[in-house]
Amino acid sequence: MKNDSKRRLNIISRIFREAKPIWGWLVFSCFLSFLQIILGVLAPKILGNTVQILYDYWAGELITDNLAGTVVRNLIPLAFIYVGMSASDYAIMYLLNNVVSRYYTCNVRIRISEKIKHLPVKFIDSTPVGEILRRLMDDVSQMGSSIHTVIETIFPVFLQMALIIGIMFFESWQLAIVVLLLTPLSVFLSSKISSASEKYFTKMFEESGKLNSVVEESYSNYATTKAYNWESETLRRHEEINLRQRDAEVKASFISSAVRPCITLINALVYIAINLIGGWLIIGGKASVGTVVTMVLFARQISAPLESVAEVLSEVQRATAASERVFSLLDYEEEKPDFGTFGENEILGDVRFEHVDFSYDKDKPLIRNLNLDIKHGQNVAIVGPTGAGKTTIVNLLMRFYDPDGGKITIDGRDICEISREEVRGLFGMVLQDTWLFGGTVAENVAYGKPEATREEIVKACEEAYCDHFIRTFPQGYDTVIGEDTTNISGGQKQLLTIARALLANHRLLILDEATSNVDTRTEILIQNAMDKLMAGKTCFVIAHRLSTIVDSDIILVIDNGQIVETGKHEELLAKKGFYYRIYTSQYAV
Amino acid sequence: MKTILKKLLPYKIKIIFSLILLTVATACDLLLPTLMSDIVDKGIYLSDIDYIVRNCIYMLVVSLAGFGTVILGRKLSAEVVAGFCCDLRRMVFAKVNTMTFGEISELGTAALVTRSTHDTETLGWVASMLCSGIITIPALFIGGVALSLSKDVLLSAVFLCFVPVMFAVVCFIGKKIEPLWQDADVYIDKQNDIMRERLHGIRVIRAFGNEEKEHGRMVKAIQAMTKNIIRSNVSMGIISPLSLLLFNLSVVIIAYLGAVRMESGENAVSAGDIFAIIQYVTLVMNSVMSAAFVFVAAPQAKVAADRIGEVLCAEGIDDKIPAEDTEFSGDVIFDHVTFKYEGAAEPAVSDISFHIKPGQKVSVIGGTGSGKSTLVSLMLCFRMPTEGAVIYDGRSTDSLSHQTVRNNISCVLQQSSIYSGTIRDNILMGKPDATDEEIRAAAKVAQLSDFVDTLDGGYDYELNQAGKNLSGGQKQRLSIARAVVKNAPIYIFDDSFSALDFLTEKNLRTELSEKAAGRTQIVITQRVTSAMGSDVIFVMDKGRIVDSGTHSELLGRCRIYQEIYASQTGGASK
Repeated sequence: MKNDSKRRLNIISRIFREAKPIWGWLVFSCFLSFLQIILGVLAPKILGNTVQILYDYWAGELITDNLAGTVVRNLIPLAFIYVGMSASDYAIMYLLNNVVSRYYTCNVRIRISEKIKHLPVKFIDSTPVGEILRRLMDDVSQMGSSIHTVIETIFPVFLQMALIIGIMFFESWQLAIVVLLLTPLSVFLSSKISSASEKYFTKMFEESGKLNSVVEESYSNYATTKAYNWESETLRRHEEINLRQRDAEVKASFISSAVRPCITLINALVYIAINLIGGWLIIGGKASVGTVVTMVLFARQISAPLESVAEVLSEVQRATAASERVFSLLDYEEEKPDFGTFGENEILGDVRFEHVDFSYDKDKPLIRNLNLDIKHGQNVAIVGPTGAGKTTIVNLLMRFYDPDGGKITIDGRDICEISREEVRGLFGMVLQDTWLFGGTVAENVAYGKPEATREEIVKACEEAYCDHFIRTFPQGYDTVIGEDTTNISGGQKQLLTIARALLANHRLLILDEATSNVDTRTEILIQNAMDKLMAGKTCFVIAHRLSTIVDSDIILVIDNGQIVETGKHEELLAKKGFYYRIYTSQYAV
Repeated sequence: MKTILKKLLPYKIKIIFSLILLTVATACDLLLPTLMSDIVDKGIYLSDIDYIVRNCIYMLVVSLAGFGTVILGRKLSAEVVAGFCCDLRRMVFAKVNTMTFGEISELGTAALVTRSTHDTETLGWVASMLCSGIITIPALFIGGVALSLSKDVLLSAVFLCFVPVMFAVVCFIGKKIEPLWQDADVYIDKQNDIMRERLHGIRVIRAFGNEEKEHGRMVKAIQAMTKNIIRSNVSMGIISPLSLLLFNLSVVIIAYLGAVRMESGENAVSAGDIFAIIQYVTLVMNSVMSAAFVFVAAPQAKVAADRIGEVLCAEGIDDKIPAEDTEFSGDVIFDHVTFKYEGAAEPAVSDISFHIKPGQKVSVIGGTGSGKSTLVSLMLCFRMPTEGAVIYDGRSTDSLSHQTVRNNISCVLQQSSIYSGTIRDNILMGKPDATDEEIRAAAKVAQLSDFVDTLDGGYDYELNQAGKNLSGGQKQRLSIARAVVKNAPIYIFDDSFSALDFLTEKNLRTELSEKAAGRTQIVITQRVTSAMGSDVIFVMDKGRIVDSGTHSELLGRCRIYQEIYASQTGGASK
């Protein structure tokens, strides 16, 4: 418990430490809010005085032939104070919005983006995208708004209360005591009620989240639901949660709506008390009418800041939770920077695996003592059932992950001694999971070689058989496409990524052959394009095509993350092992 | 909008009561300042302590009454609002569940999700405003104006002049900000899209050493978003200081004019009156502010209501034929079936005729867009033929309940459908009363049991929404297990082995043939290897069956089949 609050305090102090570049502005905002509060305290005082003048005049206690003039002397400063109040209100809002958004939340977001550059692939593989997006958007916003609230509320509130209490005691200590005794009651009550309703709000949001999942699930599984005559069950599940959400909602909104009436009631009690005591004081000649009026106005003012303190506290709580998530991302251990280089020599592309051990999870060893010797220009086919771990080899080659033991060398150099950037730069990649970013076709093709000229781009596209369909697009090479583009088929995407690899022209290649969802003609095109791409390069192919497999120099047969067999096609067939079974199941009638 | 408002009818008694209660509460709120000014005017001026005490007691009674009525009123209105939202969600969801596939695809799944969740929430929010805030606005406004008029006409006129100004200011700014809010969504989406893209493509990006470039794009998107946020917040932020200023200035003017009137000697206005009017100004101005906000929010609510109305007005499925307990033999006939999607220029399938006999193993092969999946939709009565008939055991689907047809089909659709719940729950969908042995047996046939055995909890392993904690192949096998446990007379697999490797597929097919001996099997596929072992293979191209026969027959004569075969085996020798 104690540790918990200490940790929370640490986080809060870090939020503010990190806001260092804007400290000056924050202090200035605080100054403005002090100003605003002083004005806010002065205003009711002057208004009270004015009413007092009117009252005295009406009662015949003040005799003047220029009442309007007397009143105006009070009202003109009052008008200025009001203008000043609104102006400083606006200025604070403007300042905080600009400063906090521009120099704080924006910077934290940029730092997250910067951080992503240095995070190991492992982290990104194991963290859901939605989780990172939530930190980037919602959590950072929460951090920003907490700074807002604290500056706008906590500091001013204390000053405001101190001032109000001071003036009240100055005006009439008896009334001040009444107000001070009664108002905390309303704050206490309202915070109790809010925390009670918070529980039901949480419950309501939970149920609403579940309900939304049911809705999404039912709609996206619509056909299956129908095919299994499952509608009534879906409706039952929906209704069950729906009713729970309703019940939580009734309680949450009822309880939270009780806050205001409670405050109103207590304020009324304060009113009554001030009037009774005030009336008694006035009649006893111990206080003036103006004093009583001023007190009434202050009594109203003091309950507002107290209420907001309760609000701010829960805001701060939310902010610490959010910042904790953001900080844990920002503090995540980065890939160690590495500066090794192959030097100026041209890379041939000889690849060796020497006693390589690797596992994603320490308890489940995957690759043990793997030895491979691949000469430049050779083709390596990686075959095996889906999910057997074929991509693990790719992960190791590209240094997305590093081996636990042994080493992988390219042209005799251990790749762990070379910078990741340089190692990755050696490889061209065409994955089945095609990746295009939101940009034009030309930009996507030139992704690996940004300085490429339009001619080079078009040439690569011609070789990869995409020039033709690109020209059918409304803006040709300048058509904007993206990951979720629908006007371009899966096969076409694949061809574009081949064009990308052709243009970049790397010494080593990693290819993942397409298996499905491509029509026959496109598939032939893809294969022809891949053949061109592979010519003369050291290739690692996650192979599905028989011809690729049969013609390759080494076949790695992978099952359950282990390399179970290696060798050439004929050797493996002769073994009558796992490879033989795969081969016959696929190609024998 | 009207159809939606009608859904409030069942709550009319509660609504009326809560209205009455809230009106009483408002009246009590309005009385308080009057009582207050009376205490000052009559009690204090006349030094009448009895009067002060008496009025304080009135005030206490009035505040308690206000408190009681408002609490009760809120309780009722909370019940109305939550009940209304609950009804709305139920109705929309139930309606969508009876829509035809045509209607669903016309509106789109994403839009339907928005309507069932976001739009109902928006309406719920409007309903709660109606039941709490808005209802009291006219009462507050009229009451406040009436009371202050009763105190002094001229002074009241002053602040009444401010009312339209204030209303106009809030409305104007509100309208100006609205597009900014909409833009905000665009900017946020853009930022998130880039980040999502980057995380998905992390390997490609790093392979090309382009992290710096991606970071640059990200920074630009973040900065654009920040600018927009600042702009909309700053425009929004002017409302509060501006309206406060207007309100305060009207107080100053009232105080001044009050003084002038008092000085002129007509004793029409007392100090207490002026004080009371200043209090009423607060009430009236607050009600004006709320009204203006409602005015700004109204179009948004109307859009939501209209969109929900659109769903509720959909015609839905007309499955009038009562379901029966017939078991099919597995005999399927397509008799010159043509189907055209609404608004499409060309039919998706034309003039399809074939006869599948009970127990036959049939494959349909063809490229994307050849019309294979449309056949599945027709067999499952998702769509009804435009021409011709789909006939089971001599009965056309026109004369059969859809439910009956679907009860007789074990199907696995192209998109594996996983429901949140346990693995067991998902399999049970096929046969709700299946025993543990049946579930295990089905999982074994689907080549799923080894995987399930590695899971914590085995068959009670909890799946995430849409089975996000499963791989594509695992999802496919789970869907197959569901179909196997149902073991209906007809099996349909629509491209359901695409994520399985050949060995797994082979084992699965062998075990399935044992388990489903005598059942009709229809396999829709793009893979020659999946089709090869069938009794008959239909080759589809451009919505027509171009040839049918066994693997070796087709390999001998059908050009398209040869092409497909060649492309998938890379032309290697057999």
